[in-house]
Formats: sequence, C-alpha cells, structure tokens
Amino acid sequence: MTEPLVEPGPPLAPVRLARFSRQLMLPGFGELAQRRLHAARVLVVGAGGLGSAVVPALAGSGVGTIGIADFDTVELSNLPRQLSHGVADLGRSKVDSLAETVAASDPECRIVRHHERLTAANLPGILEAYDLVVDGSDNFPTRYLTNDAAHLAGKPLVWGAILRYHGQVGVAWRGEGPGYRDLFPVPPAPGEVPSCELGGVLPSLCLVIGALMATEVVKLVTGVGRPLLGRVLSYDALMARTREIPYSVIADADEITSLIDYEAFCGFDANETDAAGGSSLAVAPISAAEVLQRIRADQPLRLIDVREPTEAALRRIDGSTLLPLADLLGGAEPPPGEGPIVVYCEVGIRSQRAARELRRRGHTEVSSLDGGIERFAGVAADLIAR
Amino acid sequence: MTMVTVRYFAAAAEAAGVEEEFLDLPGDATVGMLRDELAARYGADMQRVLASGSFLVDGTVQRDPATPLGGAVDILPPFAGG
Repeated sequence: MTEPLVEPGPPLAPVRLARFSRQLMLPGFGELAQRRLHAARVLVVGAGGLGSAVVPALAGSGVGTIGIADFDTVELSNLPRQLSHGVADLGRSKVDSLAETVAASDPECRIVRHHERLTAANLPGILEAYDLVVDGSDNFPTRYLTNDAAHLAGKPLVWGAILRYHGQVGVAWRGEGPGYRDLFPVPPAPGEVPSCELGGVLPSLCLVIGALMATEVVKLVTGVGRPLLGRVLSYDALMARTREIPYSVIADADEITSLIDYEAFCGFDANETDAAGGSSLAVAPISAAEVLQRIRADQPLRLIDVREPTEAALRRIDGSTLLPLADLLGGAEPPPGEGPIVVYCEVGIRSQRAARELRRRGHTEVSSLDGGIERFAGVAADLIAR
Repeated sequence: MTMVTVRYFAAAAEAAGVEEEFLDLPGDATVGMLRDELAARYGADMQRVLASGSFLVDGTVQRDPATPLGGAVDILPPFAGG
C-alpha cells in the first residue's frame, strides 16, 4: 500500500454522491477516496487505443481533471478499438473527440486539451499542472521522454503497451520503486519492434490494458490496494493469462539528471548519414501535385507502396509496386528501374521510415509522398486503382 | 549442473512455443551462454526477441553477457503500441 497521492477536495454535492454511489460503498473506499479523485489531475499521453480506453474510465471513476495530449486525427482504422470516436469524428482531432465523449458522460469532468506533440522542451511545463501521468503513447521516444519527465518531477507514471495479442502494464515512481528504464534500459533499434500499425493489434486488448491502467491510477490517487510497483503485468489474450514479472532498480544504471533528445536516443537521428557515410539521411517530402505532374509529363518514376497487401487491395496508385514496410525494413529491395523512387503509404508516416531506410542503403533519389495516398487521391482520383 | 527456470513473455513465448521451461545448464553458466543456447534452440524468431528484449535474472535486468545466471530468468520484449 502507498499513501494516497492526492489530498481530498471539498465535500461532494448530493448529485455527485448519487452518481458515485456504487463505488462509495466499496470496502476501504468511501467519500474521502471520491474526493481525492475529484481533486486529482491526471495527464494522459496518447489518445489512441489505450488513451481512448483510459480517459473515459478515469472520467467515469470521478477523476476531476484529465489532460489529453495527442496531435493525431481520427482515421477509419482507429474505430474498431478506439470506441470513444465515431464515424462523424473521422478526420477530427482525437483529443476533441475524446473530450466530447467525456462531456457527454460527465460534464463536470474538466478536460484539458493538449494538441501539441510532447517534447523534452514542453513536457516538464505541462506536467507541473498534474499529479500523475499515464502513458499510452505509440512510440519509444515518447515512452522514454514521459518516464524521464515523470521521474525528474517525482510524479508517478502509469504506463501500458500493446501489440498483437499482448499487453504490458506497469507503474514507475521515483523513490517508491523502479522505473521504465529499469525494465527496458535501452530502446530497440528503429524498426526492430513493430508498431500496431505494422504488427496489428486485437481491438479488445486496448480495453483490457486501458482498464488495468485506469485501475492503477485510481489506486494511486486514493491509496487503495497495492499498485503495480516493482512488477510488470503481462497479459496474453490468446492464453487468457496474466503473469507478473518482478523487477528491481538496476544498481549501476546512469542516473536520469535531465531530459535528452529522445529521437536520437531511440536511433531516429536526423543527422544520420548514408551507408557511404557522406550525405545526410534527411528525406525531402514530395507533394501530391509534384508527383502528379511527373506522371502526367511521362517522366520516369518508381512508385513504391509500403502499405500492407490488404490496404493496397482497397486502393492503390496506378503503376505502383507493393513492398510492405516490414519487408523493406527486413532487407527487401524495390525492383530496379528508371527514375527517382517515390515511397508512399496511407498518410505519409510509414513512407518516411521507408525512404530513410532506402537512403541509408545508398539509394540517392528517394522521396516520401507527403500526405500519402489519402492526399494524392484528392488531387488525382483517376490514377487511383480500386 | 544448475536448474534454471526460464519464463518467456509475449513474442518470446511465441518464439519458444512455451511460456516456461526448466533448463539444465552448467554450474558456471552465464547470461551470454543462455542467450546462445536459446538462439540455437529457437532460431531467428528468438534471436529477434533477444536483440531487444530484456533479460531479467532473479528480478533484475542484466545486460552483461558475463553475468552469472541465477535460478530464474524472465525474457520480456518491449513494445510501444498504444
């Protein structure tokens, strides 16, 4: 058991007592715990599969202030697992959509919208206004950033991660137990561990892990139960099994003294050079209009589609070659041909990774289609094969 | 000989085909020896996990291959999906 994280707020109005009656009657909970939750300020990093499960669960539990940090917009492929968004939210900010979902359930819950990308420069300032941070982000640089910022601020971090059929949940809190770096001291090399976008994820897994994360938040805020400190919970949906892995502080680990460049730490080095060691790997984006112009002018061009076969089956750019990102990162080469390589994906994120990898291998004329096929379809519907 | 309980998690369990097993290893066995043994036993999928996964010996992450093994080893890959 840990001490409750948050001091109780003022007594609750009768309508609030009625709303929370089923948890107020819990043994060891009571009105004081509910007032702690009402006074609590929780920052949720990432409004994806985990964030959109965690935020409504926190609001439902009565957390008074919830900050949501994400700069992404809702896509069709999000809807199966991000149940807070609907068809009407497609293209809208995930943060806005989530805020409205919460408002519909409890208008008294205060939602703070952080539409920006979290960085070493802005996170410490943002974190000042919160008691606790929840990390449901979708990339390693943000995970290490969030861990280190929480560590330096001395605030607890509840983190969760999902991939395919597996999930992990843990709590890091300086002085109370080990941190994320004591479990994963070094990040994997870029591309070594697939993202959900590349590896897939079972929709209900987000709800399981998100619910476990929200539960840890409630426990930390109120001091009820024993938090997941010093042990990480591993969930296997196929076996329907949870197991615990105990872990302790790595005695000789470097101390976290300040925030660093997390992109570089995770191997995404903007100043990286190609295999010959000469030129920078920075990849220039190419606009949909430029690509269209080249095609219309019959200039040679190698269009490489790095999405998955199922995506290409729905729509692809005429004349493109399919080479899924995982295969490309695994060593597959685009077929030889004439003209510069233009890599594209759905919205232009995977294609940047692919273009960088091709540059690293020594391909010189490589660019990434800005905005992906999504934007290209807007300017050249006639060149989209369905 | 020493008996080591090895627990595999997520992609490590998929690569091994089991969640847990008991291995008889020489008394002076190290983290490096176990990694080599697992890579040889389970091939490329396990090698991928071992490249980035955490190797916990009796509850502490050990990265130095010369670390002596204890009675329990947990192998856990990181993932960042959210």
